[in-house]
Order: sequence, then C-alpha cells, then structure tokens
Amino acid sequence: MLTEIREGKALNPVVKHITQEKINLYAEASGDFNPIHIDESFATKTPFGGTIAHGMLSLAYVSEMMASNFGRSWLSGGKLGAKFKEPARPGDSLTINGKIDCIEQKDDVSYANCNFECRNQKDETIVTGEAVVKFQSDRK
Amino acid sequence: MSDKTISYEELIPGYKFPPATHELSASLVSKYLKAVDSAGDGFVPPLAITALAIATMAGSIPLPPGTTAIHASQDLEFFKLVPIGTTIECHTGVVQKIARGKMSMLILGLEVFNKGKEKVQSGKATIALLT
Repeated sequence: MLTEIREGKALNPVVKHITQEKINLYAEASGDFNPIHIDESFATKTPFGGTIAHGMLSLAYVSEMMASNFGRSWLSGGKLGAKFKEPARPGDSLTINGKIDCIEQKDDVSYANCNFECRNQKDETIVTGEAVVKFQSDRK
Repeated sequence: MSDKTISYEELIPGYKFPPATHELSASLVSKYLKAVDSAGDGFVPPLAITALAIATMAGSIPLPPGTTAIHASQDLEFFKLVPIGTTIECHTGVVQKIARGKMSMLILGLEVFNKGKEKVQSGKATIALLT
C-alpha cells in the first residue's frame, strides 16, 4: 500500500513473466479459449506469428498493481480505461508502472487520477491507460 | 448461456445477450489467482469478474469464418467489493459495430450485479475482428 497519496507519486510497480503455461491456465480460469492464445499451429498462421497472451491477463496485472497500491479503495471504487497496444507473448517479462497525475476533491471524497503502462523487456508498450481511484480524504 | 442461433449480421447496436449467472466459488477464484500469479486479498478480483463476463459473451458471438478476435481496449468501473462465494449476473450487449476496410470492431457493454441487484461493475470492451 502507498504510505502517502500525493500528486506525482510513483506507484509501486509489478513485474510478471509470461509463459505459455500461464496463458493456458488463464484460458482455463476465464473460459476464453480463443485459439490465438492457446493453439500454436493456428496462431503461427495469423499476423501475430505465434500465440499471444490474453489482453485481460495483462490487464489483470495492471489491476493487481492498483490493488497493491490502493487496497480496497481500488476494488470498490476503481475505474480504468486501457488500450492494448502490442500483444504480450510467451517469454515476455512485463513491468507495470504507474503514477498519480493529479488528485481531485469533491466534498469529503478524493479521486487519485493515475496513468499506467505495461512494458515488455524490449521496452515496447503492451498496455497503456488511465485509472481513477476514489478514496476518503483526511483533508477538510 | 449461449445464443448460437444469431448470426454476426444480426448483432446490431442494442442487441442484448442472454444474461449469464456465475457463482464465484473459492475454487474458481483460486484457479483465477493461480492463473494471474497473484496472492489475492480475500475478495474476488474485479478482473476475474470481467473475464468471466467477456468470455461468456465472446462464446455467444458468431464470428465470420476466418476471423480472429482481438481485445483492443477496455473500460471498467468497480462499485462494490465482491466477497468470495457471491453469485453474480452479467448483462452484456452490443453498443456499437464498426467496419473499416478489412477490420471490423465490436464495442460490447457489460454490467454485473450481485444477488441484491446492486451493480458491482460496468464496462465496455472493444474487440477488433481481423480477417
């Protein structure tokens, strides 16, 4: 959890390693068996040239980063908008970073407006977007 | 719950998929947490709910032959903590359908409610269909 919520504060990052086994596990857990994710012979014939991770798997890592920084405030009052820029592939190491851009206050509720990015080991952007977290403010 | 009888052409803005109900059991959540390599925090991860809603809806979409569906963007909002064991009802539908040359896009809406009919999550998924 963040010890202080202030503008410009970098969020604690999350690092994850993608494997085909994890992609297969995600397909089982989510029920998304699109062959682009799990069927190598199918995927090699597509423009991607091989299997790719579910976008929602990468987004789950973003959500984990937000939850690890904001706790239950994220789970019960989070909002995000994400764009999937490039596919994550087996063998990729993903780093999810974020920063609090600004804090807005309305009545006794504050909103932390954050940006986030998920990048692979080649520094390619996999997912990018914005997130807002509603939290109780001590400020009067 | 699938609706395989509908054709892709019949998927027009305003179309609603049949509501789907899921029990978010401890075993389901545990399987999800293992898949996303996370310890969890005692509640159902919101993205687990989204994933279920989208997968159920995607299974009902009759894609044109030779088409690959790719997630292009996702908007989400969470309203309530969801305890493990909760039963949810997912309401999904077509918000917009776009055709640009060889690429088509479907924008799908989702709303998820708990048994008390409280909204726990809503969002929009943009799916690109590549031929």
